[in-house]
Amino acid sequence: MNADNSRKLIVLAAIWIVLLLAPYWMAPLGGYTALATRVLVLGLAAMSLNFLLGFTGVLSFGHAAWFGLGAYGAGLTLKYLALSTPLAILGGMLLGGLCGALLGTLIVRRRGVYFAMVTIAFGQVFYYVAFQWSSLTGGDDGLRGFARQPLDFGVFKLDILTNADTFYYFVLFCFALAVGAMGFILRSPFGRTMIAIRENERRSRFLGIPVERHIWIAFTLSCFFMGFAGALYALVNNFADPRGLHYSQSGDFVMMAVMGGMRSFWGPLLGAAVFVVLQDYLSSITVNWMSFVGLLFVLVVLFFPRGLLGFLQRSKA
Amino acid sequence: MTLLLLFNITNGLIVGAFYVLMALGLSLILNLSNVINFAHGGFLVIGGYIAYAISPYVGFWGALLLAPPLTAVIGLAVERVLIRPLYGRDPLYSLLLTFGLAFMIEDGTRFIFGPQGKPVEIPAFLALPLSNELFFITGYRLFMVAVVFVAVALLFLLLRYTRLGVRIRAGTLDLETVAALGINVRLLRSLNFAVGIFLAGLSGVLAAGQLGLEPTMGTGLLMPSFIAIIVGGIGSLPGTLIGGLLIGVASGVTAVFFPAASEAVIYVMMAVILLTRPRGLFGEEGMMS
Amino acid sequence: MNVLEINGVTKRFGNLVAVRDVSLNVAKGELCAIIGPNGAGKTTFFNLISGFFPPTSGTIIFDGNDITRLATHERVTRGMARTFQITEIFPELTVFENVRIAVEVADGYRLRPWINRTEAARVHKHVETTLKLVALDIKADRLVGELAHGDQRAAEIAMALALRPHLLLLDEPTAGMGDQETYQITQLIRRLHRDSQYSIVLIEHDMRVVFHLADRVCVLDQGRMLAQGTPQQIAANEAVQAAYLGSAA
Repeated sequence: MNADNSRKLIVLAAIWIVLLLAPYWMAPLGGYTALATRVLVLGLAAMSLNFLLGFTGVLSFGHAAWFGLGAYGAGLTLKYLALSTPLAILGGMLLGGLCGALLGTLIVRRRGVYFAMVTIAFGQVFYYVAFQWSSLTGGDDGLRGFARQPLDFGVFKLDILTNADTFYYFVLFCFALAVGAMGFILRSPFGRTMIAIRENERRSRFLGIPVERHIWIAFTLSCFFMGFAGALYALVNNFADPRGLHYSQSGDFVMMAVMGGMRSFWGPLLGAAVFVVLQDYLSSITVNWMSFVGLLFVLVVLFFPRGLLGFLQRSKA
Repeated sequence: MTLLLLFNITNGLIVGAFYVLMALGLSLILNLSNVINFAHGGFLVIGGYIAYAISPYVGFWGALLLAPPLTAVIGLAVERVLIRPLYGRDPLYSLLLTFGLAFMIEDGTRFIFGPQGKPVEIPAFLALPLSNELFFITGYRLFMVAVVFVAVALLFLLLRYTRLGVRIRAGTLDLETVAALGINVRLLRSLNFAVGIFLAGLSGVLAAGQLGLEPTMGTGLLMPSFIAIIVGGIGSLPGTLIGGLLIGVASGVTAVFFPAASEAVIYVMMAVILLTRPRGLFGEEGMMS
Repeated sequence: MNVLEINGVTKRFGNLVAVRDVSLNVAKGELCAIIGPNGAGKTTFFNLISGFFPPTSGTIIFDGNDITRLATHERVTRGMARTFQITEIFPELTVFENVRIAVEVADGYRLRPWINRTEAARVHKHVETTLKLVALDIKADRLVGELAHGDQRAAEIAMALALRPHLLLLDEPTAGMGDQETYQITQLIRRLHRDSQYSIVLIEHDMRVVFHLADRVCVLDQGRMLAQGTPQQIAANEAVQAAYLGSAA
């Protein structure tokens, strides 16, 4: 038990050291800081999805909608409401989270494939809104004309707009906040009821857990985290893309979670890293990268259904 | 105005007929195997391109007869090799696999046939409009609706009166009992999958004649088919049929009054249905949970 | 005083009447066994009590309150716990974690995003006492999914006990067990009943178990209450014998 705990601590320390030093080791390996920032944000999105998928056992295949709404929320805040990065993030998180909370009330009784199907279809609603409402969202071209703002702390300013490294650390700080919150919740009595529902819904119900209500809360929390990640993504690109809401983006997020390992907390981050780098690489060497991404899906499902971390853990055991 | 409305209702019915063919295939596979076949649009594209490839040799009629069964054979192979290992696992996996497959099919057809639209020649007498006034009702459109009608009727007859059909329906209700009766469930699922893919292939041929072929055309039809199933009620094939026609006509009619919302309206319908009647128009209680 | 009063409960599924006008009172501290041939409606009857679905007609009173229309989790909150014919547990969690979830829910912490030290210590202690009661304290750190069938059943009972129920519903607690395991579970139920004074309703096929444990036996046949009485009365009842022999033939 104690050896187990200290091993966990070592792994945790290693993860944070790798993340903290990313700007220094990315460059020599042929990467660049902005790529690390993207991995971090998409990784956070995949972890937010996995909060629901891996720990409550509820398959949402429309989570890109909350991610995309987060991006638009941040962009619209910066463009029309306030020139403030923190407010933009708040705006994105609220838009994604509140829309998710509302939709959640409609779908929380569905299970399994049916839940997946309804979330896919409803996710597309938001895609169409972003796509069609050109006057507000910029339509097909996406939302442009906003930029993240330097952080002003009075005594000093952080230039996250032009300095890539500073921005990376700002994103890492946000990532740490969100991931910390997720980890905290999962270790709480409420988090344990989520896992209970994943493990056995009937037993959970017969322990006195109102299962639908708990799934709704988990879904809503997951949507807020997703909106948070989406808002960061808008800040990364200074741009919000309607395709960020599309179900194929949802598929990518699910893939990241599965590929990294759904049952582990950090798995989706690893999955996102592999996925983003691979996609980056494939699209730079072939126009048919879509085929290869598709093939990746097929291969992972057939041969690594427990993901990279699941595979490692199993081969060790 | 009346003419415009009529025009759009006709359009809606024709589009709805496509949704119905797609959605019925999806529904069959979903109900028996608990698989959301994301690659269903891909199979439609395969059917269309097969028709395109063989029609110079066998003509339109030959393509119409041959392309759907050929698509079904491909579907059968895919089911055997890729999807069968996933039965009984979390439905997440078949969803992801067919999702990747859809990517591969779309990109593969683009690679082989190019991104440009490809026309499929239809017989000249079918291409003519019926009258000058009703210019939009061509012979081909009527023909398509007739083919869809016949296909759907045959499907329902198959399900009602053949041994395979009865087993498929029984398996949908209670697969364990069907297996306990000594029926080969694997074979049943394969054949059922093939029937579903046959319908996708058929819609591919018909769509090719009407719209021309593009690698992305299947993806566009997938989402309305999902909604047709949800609106009609998951688990009910007649529901899927009605659902498809309903959303087709609804989006056609909306196109007259508020063109920008013609796609959004089907989502609104879905939301209203889920709010007022969560199991869909014809769904069985408990089927969706 | 009665823990449970069931008055004229009927359940129809379409044309099928699964339970027909059944009444049953369970006194505090009583152990009542429900027996009957296959398809007699025993599990449906249990599902009505525990709130799987509402009855078509009739009322169910629990601790003096009408719970006929209450949802499952609300019945549990009011003190009704049940186990299933096919064990329902959290297989990928440890024995301790399984029971801890039950304790935390029972203590009203289920929506809490944190828990302080004193509360955690109290939960911990309650889990340990419960595990001791079913003799699983030595296996607390094992994954439940890896335990033997009898131990899994004991873990399920422990989760039910952790809820501090006023009424325990046990659906075929010895189903699928060998003699040794059946004996152990029977002893456990006997202890819960005799020593800890739990009110228990159980469905059981094994007549040795029924006659060893029950204060009262109720016989269901074709959805109807055929007979009620002490084990001795039931053993001598001709209608009961006919029902069993009839269905066996």
